[in-house]
Amino acid sequence: MTGLTCQDISLGYGAHQVLRDVSLSVPPGRITALIGANGCGKSTLLRAMAGLLHPMSGEVALDGRKLSAWPRKQLARRLSFLPQEMVDPPEITVAELIAYGRHPHHGLLGRACPGDAEAVARAIAATDMTSLAGRMVATLSGGERRRAWIAMALAVEAQILLLDEPTTFLDIGHQFEVLELLQHINRSHGITVVLSLHDLNQAVRFADHLVAVDRGTIIDQGAPADVMTERLLTDTFRVSASITRATDSPPVFIATGSIKDPSRHASV
Amino acid sequence: MNRLPFWPTAAITFCALVAFALLATLNGAADLGLRQGLDALFLGAGDNAGILWDIRLPRVAIGILVGIHLAISGHLLQSATRNPLTDPNVLGIAGGAMLAVMIFLLITVYWGQTDGSKLTSYPLAPLPFVALFGGLVAASLTYLIAWRAGVTPLRLVLAGIAIGITFQALGLGIFAAWGSTRMETVLLWLSGSLYARGWEHALHLLPWTIAGLLVLPVMVAKLDLLSIGDDAAATLGVNVGAIRFSAIALATVLASSAVAIVGPLGFVGLITPHAARRLVGSALAKSLPISALLGALLVTLGDLIGRIAMPPAEIPVGAVTALIGVPVFLMLLGRRT
Repeated sequence: MTGLTCQDISLGYGAHQVLRDVSLSVPPGRITALIGANGCGKSTLLRAMAGLLHPMSGEVALDGRKLSAWPRKQLARRLSFLPQEMVDPPEITVAELIAYGRHPHHGLLGRACPGDAEAVARAIAATDMTSLAGRMVATLSGGERRRAWIAMALAVEAQILLLDEPTTFLDIGHQFEVLELLQHINRSHGITVVLSLHDLNQAVRFADHLVAVDRGTIIDQGAPADVMTERLLTDTFRVSASITRATDSPPVFIATGSIKDPSRHASV
Repeated sequence: MNRLPFWPTAAITFCALVAFALLATLNGAADLGLRQGLDALFLGAGDNAGILWDIRLPRVAIGILVGIHLAISGHLLQSATRNPLTDPNVLGIAGGAMLAVMIFLLITVYWGQTDGSKLTSYPLAPLPFVALFGGLVAASLTYLIAWRAGVTPLRLVLAGIAIGITFQALGLGIFAAWGSTRMETVLLWLSGSLYARGWEHALHLLPWTIAGLLVLPVMVAKLDLLSIGDDAAATLGVNVGAIRFSAIALATVLASSAVAIVGPLGFVGLITPHAARRLVGSALAKSLPISALLGALLVTLGDLIGRIAMPPAEIPVGAVTALIGVPVFLMLLGRRT
């Protein structure tokens, strides 16, 4: 079994269960997008896939080996994760932040190793950060910050890149910039990308594989055009919408209003 | 903010430290004059060699060691909790060390001596261990209270403040119930003073300094990564829980041993890390050594000012560092926003 797989995993925090019996096999070399309403467990699933959260049952495995059985740094060299919340370190430059991505390759004392400079340079070039490399991270705009963090994740030179909502808090132009960057990285370097997204049209447009999460489990997964149905929109996202399908482009949907759920109101 | 290069900054800070240490050795209640002082210091000439070698030099040496301890301790805590307003006082460590020493002094000085009219000295050798015990108890309590399936920086700081205030109150309660003459022994220690500290104090501190400095290189790179968040650090292969725990433990050891020798000394651990980061950036491999040098400089300078401000009376170094520290701290806060 190669690549990243989830086998019947249940996830939660303390006694609170968020996801139940989820199975997922990430297609290698492709872009996989997780979609679902707020609080459905997308972030929880991504954290488990990154090895940050141990499943209550079942197992997440990389190349058939349980994540918890991997040595930390060895796993870190294979799997790179960008949390949704980026904590900006004080008083550090973009280049220094990106260089943090080399840590999994270092020994006990954290000394630099031969490939570092080249890897950092490649990450800077790939994310078009050359002119910003000397700037302080705190002085960057939202879009630039996101790109700096993606560059840091790229400097790891891992085969698999996991990103939790990489487009939040960005305007539409910068959202596309980030997604096109990820697509470029995927197409040109063959890096497997798994990300959670809120914008369904973007998910359909950029992902090769779509995973819909709702009510604590994966309700559907597959090619975007197949997963994206009226039923998904009404049941999972609770919107009435029209979907326009064309033969030469991905389906596009326009939401026209929310659907009130009598049972949800009754429980309040 | 333009950064200064590391080596020149370190060299200048070091030279300033040496200069002020020399000045602190030569200046004091007994005015020797430059020539006489230098002769006494380097040639051992004159009657004053004893004053310099047995009284002033150890005092300066202890100030330097204590400054290094508190600066590194504060810097480690600020990195580990990702909170720039943390120091050994905030996490309750100083309060715990203080309470333990108070209880120890109460037992050895108060109950050990029946003659209430005599000014007593206190046993020195156990003090670092006693303070360390208190500091570790306080740090462990802080950690336990903050623990909810892991420790977040915010909960750690809140728990630390609560523990610190409680322990400090208990310590002062013991002090309030103290007999009058023996009070001075404790008061001297309590005010954060370098008065009457000799070579034996320095020798009881030095092993802790060396042990601490030897452990640091292994922790630096991982602590740097904590600054980008727990999840991000963990995905880069850092054992977040282990490194946070060991940084707090080392900070506790350094701060407690310093408190044992000179008493609680505020603001050194709080402001020097800020200044160091502003000067050379936040990468710990650079900022930590600068922090240590600045800490040593601050305590040396503070003690010097305290001694020459209104001779022959002395202002305790703790009061002077606070007087220097508060405006510097406010200035740093102002420049941040």
